[in-house]
Amino acid sequence: MPKCLVCYKWTLDEQDIRVNPDDLSLDTSRAKAKISDFDRNAIEEATLIVEKHGGSVNALSYGTPDVKQSLKDVLSRGPEKVYWIAQSGAQTSDAYVTANVLAAAIRKLGQYDLILCGEGSSDEFNRQTPVRLAALLGLPCVTYVEKLSVEGDTIKATRRVADCSEVATVKGPVVISVLNQINKPRIPTLKQVLGAAKKPNEEIKIADLGLKPESLQPKSARKSVKGFVTKRKKIVYKEANAAANVAKLASSLAAEGLC
Amino acid sequence: MPGIITFSEERELGKQLLTPALELKKSLSGPVTVLALNDADAKELAALGADKVLVLQAAGGWPEGLSEAISGLVSTAAPSIFLVGGTLPGKHIGAYVAAKLNLAMVTDAKSLKVENGKLLTTRLLFAGLALCEEESVLPVVATIPSRTFLPPNAAGKAGAAETVKAETDSRVAISDITRAESSGVDIGAATRVVAVGRGFRKQEDLKLAQDLASVFHAEIACSRPVAEEEHWLPIDHYVGISGHTVKPELYVAVGISGQVQHMVGARESKVIAAIDNDEHAPIFEAADYGIVGDLYEVLPLLTAALKKK
Repeated sequence: MPKCLVCYKWTLDEQDIRVNPDDLSLDTSRAKAKISDFDRNAIEEATLIVEKHGGSVNALSYGTPDVKQSLKDVLSRGPEKVYWIAQSGAQTSDAYVTANVLAAAIRKLGQYDLILCGEGSSDEFNRQTPVRLAALLGLPCVTYVEKLSVEGDTIKATRRVADCSEVATVKGPVVISVLNQINKPRIPTLKQVLGAAKKPNEEIKIADLGLKPESLQPKSARKSVKGFVTKRKKIVYKEANAAANVAKLASSLAAEGLC
Repeated sequence: MPGIITFSEERELGKQLLTPALELKKSLSGPVTVLALNDADAKELAALGADKVLVLQAAGGWPEGLSEAISGLVSTAAPSIFLVGGTLPGKHIGAYVAAKLNLAMVTDAKSLKVENGKLLTTRLLFAGLALCEEESVLPVVATIPSRTFLPPNAAGKAGAAETVKAETDSRVAISDITRAESSGVDIGAATRVVAVGRGFRKQEDLKLAQDLASVFHAEIACSRPVAEEEHWLPIDHYVGISGHTVKPELYVAVGISGQVQHMVGARESKVIAAIDNDEHAPIFEAADYGIVGDLYEVLPLLTAALKKK
């Protein structure tokens, strides 16, 4: 019966971020936070495995004090307990610091058979954390998994790398990163949402992780963030008469020398 | 031995990495060393200005399985910068090396330069919504996506090649390697693209887009769900954040809503035209020309109109 741990990131929903056209700054005032997309697939996959084989799912997250807002959400999706590490200023942590913190927390929590992560986070999409965790913990790592099966202590994972698929067979403990096509994350029912309030959560203090100060010092720092804007003509033909629209588009393309 | 090490399991990308490597070499002391997986790659890379090529002799064909071996080589050479081709295996290997050697890694740098002893890079954030400029302490790992740079011209003098033994990670066994159906079409190099999305109701209906593509002399591409979920087109046809980035003179998006995850792969197109039935779809904000309408009505009319020209 596999003991699973899912690492997730509490991040801003990028669909609600607007670019301010005057100075290209990002307006995040309307952006709600969410569990990063691919991490939801990781949570769902761990939950499916445990529903089939027994065992347990815990979740772990590191972030700013806002991470506390994620606890009910993550628990409503299947995990029976969530551990969280909050640090003011964690938004400036790079993948180096994030992996150091998560790996230290996992060492403290004890052994898991399966550590699951999303392929990458929906904000940074660095795709570093799962591999870094495996390297720091001395575990094998199977990345970009679109199908996962557990047979006793053997894990079979179908990887998808560009136009190639392959099956990785490995014995746990192992770190797995999943692609979004691996499953469709469930939408929690009212019962699951209410049940989440009764499930336990536990804070892990960053000071209790025994990390050296340099392990918490980011090696990459953002100097600027600018919205990406390309100038487009945005000419839209929307008459009721489709043939008229088509004629206008055809002459526009002709004027561009494209037909 | 400071300097730069480069690695890609893909030969073409390995060649492209030499362009930023040779440029960065001007601001750093030390040689450019290339890691190659076979003698043929090594020979081509040595001819393009690498000072030295190390050919990894490994048993397995799983590039990620060489992460520990590559980490050992990078650790011994102690370069200022380790540049890795930004394929998925490349990102895996780069992140492994970065973690083992306590380094920063910049994923998918679009530009790189050394300033005041730090690496300055730009890369995308929020699925392409924003461009972020970062500063990383050396030594550092950076991955570079395919086609960010052109390969350099041949150098006057070829670098020396040397063979090193490399162990593959024996904890993971790889089997059942299947190459997905490949059309042999290189979407990334197409000059005209007709891209199809979820607005199509069934696979047979893609014929309408193919008809348009044939009068345009365009290649067919798609959004991620069309390839990954519906499997209507091979995986090597999809354009977006984790698929292709295309730079054609004309990109026609049909039945694509225009989420940023898709548009990041298409927005370097010279002209973008869009056909979609939802007037409020974000695609019309990201296009030069648009038609609001039913693609089942518009496409045949457009194909016929262009045939006449």
